[in-house]
Amino acid sequence: MDFLRTLFSRIAALTGGRHRDNDLDDDIAAHLDLLIREYIARGMPEAAARTAAMREFGGVTQTREAYRVQRGFPRLEQFLRDLRYASRQLRRSPGFAFTAVLTLALGLGANIAVFSLLNCILLRPLPVPHSDELAVLRSDQNDQEHGPNYSFGSPFLRSLEKHHEGFESVAGYSTHPFQVRHDSANVRVPGALVSGQFFQLLETPPALGRWLTPLDDREGQANVAVISDSYWKTRFHRDPAAIGQTVTIANKPFVIVGVMPSTFVGADPMYRPEIYVPIWSEPIIDAPYNAIESGYHSWWMRILGRRSPGVSLEKANAALTAVSDGILDESIPDAKWIKDARAHRFHFAAEPGSRGYSYMRDTFQKPLVVVFVLCSAMLLLACINLASLLMARAAARERELATRLAMGASRLRLIQQLLVESLLIAVLGTAAGLMAAPAVSRFLAAVLVGGNGAYVILDTSLDLRVLAFVAIVAVLSTLLVGLVPALRATSKSLNEQIKSGSQSVHSRQHGLLPRVLMSMQVALALILVFGAGLLATSLQRLHRIDLGFQPHDLVNVSLEMNKQSRDGDSLFAWYRQYLDALVHLPGVKAAAYVSYPPMSGSTWTETMQTTISNGEQEIYMNSVSSGYFSTLKIPMLSGRDFQWSDNNASGLKVILSEGAAQKLFPGQNAVGQSVVMSKKNYQVVAVVGDIHYASLRNEAPPEGYLCMTQNTDHKPNYEAITRIEGSVAPFASAARLLASKMAPEIPAPILTPMMTDIDGSIASERIMAMLAVFFAICALLVTAIGLYGTLAYSTARRTSEIGIRMALGAKPGQVVGLVFRENAWIAVYGSVAGLVVAWFAARALTSFLYSTSARDPWVLILSVVVLGLIASAASIVPAIRAARIDPSTALRTE
Amino acid sequence: MGENKSDVLQGTLDLMVLKTLEAMSPLHGYGIARRIEQVSGDSIVLNQGTIYPALLRLEQRGWIKSEWGTSETNRRARFYSLSRVGRKKIAEETENWERIAATMARFLAPSN
Repeated sequence: MDFLRTLFSRIAALTGGRHRDNDLDDDIAAHLDLLIREYIARGMPEAAARTAAMREFGGVTQTREAYRVQRGFPRLEQFLRDLRYASRQLRRSPGFAFTAVLTLALGLGANIAVFSLLNCILLRPLPVPHSDELAVLRSDQNDQEHGPNYSFGSPFLRSLEKHHEGFESVAGYSTHPFQVRHDSANVRVPGALVSGQFFQLLETPPALGRWLTPLDDREGQANVAVISDSYWKTRFHRDPAAIGQTVTIANKPFVIVGVMPSTFVGADPMYRPEIYVPIWSEPIIDAPYNAIESGYHSWWMRILGRRSPGVSLEKANAALTAVSDGILDESIPDAKWIKDARAHRFHFAAEPGSRGYSYMRDTFQKPLVVVFVLCSAMLLLACINLASLLMARAAARERELATRLAMGASRLRLIQQLLVESLLIAVLGTAAGLMAAPAVSRFLAAVLVGGNGAYVILDTSLDLRVLAFVAIVAVLSTLLVGLVPALRATSKSLNEQIKSGSQSVHSRQHGLLPRVLMSMQVALALILVFGAGLLATSLQRLHRIDLGFQPHDLVNVSLEMNKQSRDGDSLFAWYRQYLDALVHLPGVKAAAYVSYPPMSGSTWTETMQTTISNGEQEIYMNSVSSGYFSTLKIPMLSGRDFQWSDNNASGLKVILSEGAAQKLFPGQNAVGQSVVMSKKNYQVVAVVGDIHYASLRNEAPPEGYLCMTQNTDHKPNYEAITRIEGSVAPFASAARLLASKMAPEIPAPILTPMMTDIDGSIASERIMAMLAVFFAICALLVTAIGLYGTLAYSTARRTSEIGIRMALGAKPGQVVGLVFRENAWIAVYGSVAGLVVAWFAARALTSFLYSTSARDPWVLILSVVVLGLIASAASIVPAIRAARIDPSTALRTE
Repeated sequence: MGENKSDVLQGTLDLMVLKTLEAMSPLHGYGIARRIEQVSGDSIVLNQGTIYPALLRLEQRGWIKSEWGTSETNRRARFYSLSRVGRKKIAEETENWERIAATMARFLAPSN
């Protein structure tokens, strides 16, 4: 109570300080007057009485000081004074202030942006209660071939639901876009198939209606669905009457029973389902496929668990291992499979799952950490740069500071004042960085997501964790920037200061610290430039890989025909009509169908055998239509292309890639021979060139192509791969219009330029190279500014020295050399240090580099040359300026 | 500074001011200082200026209040008096002080 009252009174006192000072002065004057009267009354003369009164009162100034301390927040007031002083200092040199703030903003902005991304992908827990109790389930086998497997088949889920020892609940889910009827056509809506305990496990109550329960997740139950807040908003305008209405998913009605709140994002933080349906309805949703019926052959869902209270992860894991054997027996009707699994000690395991599961985490963890290290190096460089600039500036104030020290200012106080200046720079830099960061992280997220489609959501918004990070980094950079210059500027006594003056020649010793800092900057810049050089070279080489086909100007038109009514021959007839119409669109040069476009991320493999193939060979498969090879410009080495007239009556046909032909028919001509696959005979009709099917980095795999029109699957989906001239947009709208005319019920086709897929497949490499080059350019700029700034300051302070030298006969060329040499040494020492570190650190990049050595000598030499040039460019202006000094003017200045 | 002068313990001065104002108020700074010295039998000689931060401290806590008036020499000066809170606090503070004094007395008593 007293404390609060005092606090308020002090806060009130923050205003009107001058007025309150006058009040105290009145009190003191009255007091002294009374004392004087008293002494005069005792018989003293007036002058003596005044002295006695003053003595009895004690120090008037001390009283005022003590009074002020009691009255307000002296530290705060002092801080505000320092702040005003610092901002005056900065305003006086706007050029310095601008570069300083910009440098820090660059470093901090990049750090904040990358950290937001890191936070969103690697750190942020799911927004559900007690997320620390969540666990992600996987299966492990002790062989080299299989890593941990996070996918499960439905029999495992049903078995785990029964034997969930150690877990309060376990839930399976699978996320992919559903075909939902909006008005007259089907559209894709992000959806999730979830098992009965899913919502109960995530403990988030519905905003409206009810969530799905184990009772809903049973075969034969009514079709029910829970929708997200955003779907409720966009489709039902938040009308509570949405409950009980139906949505048509995959042409079947589902009754909406609940709406989840907007905070609920499901179990994958990078995917936002709009509709949740019970897992048992998978055959409806995925028709004509049926993953449930495929049983243990189909691994299509993730499983999460919530540990029972008081059960540690170790205990839960032990319980899982214990039930693993029983679950195998219960869920797999294949004795050979079980025996195999047991031999490899197949068992279930749990790992911390507070962040849910996302495949993006595994993919991007390492690249993100590398990028984070790069931008931390950039920030460190920016801080060191500012420190050396501040130090050079403070040199000009050394005498003022030394004088203040001699007059009794405490060193701590002066350091405080100088630190406030760097704090001001840091705060301004942080603010600028914070403003830029969201846009930057959105851009980075877009690059990362790349070809992964519209359904991946990276929420890089600033949360508490990011803000805490920002605060810590800002404080650290304040100290990094300000502490060394402040300590140094206040280290000299007035005596030394006056002795040295500005007339004297600066000893090398005196300049050691700035030199070390500048060399560190050069070293860091070299490391960044070298790393960027390596990553950029590697990316360049990735881009130059010959894919075996020409990807430019190819666009994939993905058609979803699996939920419409045509099938068999009539579907193929439709496909052919659509292709004909497509080819006749303006700008289209060629088109053909393929089930898995190369570099799209999906592949399919089978084993093939011939009489001379040395057993079964694993071959990458694809199903294509006539014209595929000419559309992609894959060379036809021998034989003939498929025909639209090829059907199952005309005998099964296959086209092999060169690599596959060599594997299956070593030393022979494959065309005309036959291969066995799944106990069926296929006749080889052609051999074509090898292409990169799944990845840029890996060698082109052996590939077999089956004829589209011989595909016996029901309602297969194909992509029309189209070679176009000109821009994608007009073609995209024409292709969609065509599809909506010819099959109004299918979702609008998704168009993806082939290069988007290819860029997406090397998203990590691209983002690393892009950022590294960006940081390297910033590093070079910052280093140039630093080298120029410090040299310009130190040369300015040597004006009279240089003047004397010139008066004594030094030639302008010698003066240029004298000044230039200062930075030359810094560049040499810095480069050597940088080279040593880069030599060892580059190994961390090895796994990201494609046919580029982590110690590529050319990149190394080029980096040193670039830095040398930058250092020279930064040094030449101050050097020339020094050579123009007029000796007589220089000597007259002091 | 006189050598016979006792420095006033932190916190003690507050209680002295409160007691003074309890006995007579309103009083200005000079009056309070003089009164404290008199009551102490001149064993305490204040640096009279120190009374002002103490007065401000008590006012901030709301234990005393002040109003402007005119001093005997016709100058503008603040006159202090106890607030209602202050009146209550005196008892509390007195008890507090007595406890400390008693404890100290036990320590200082010749051991028997």
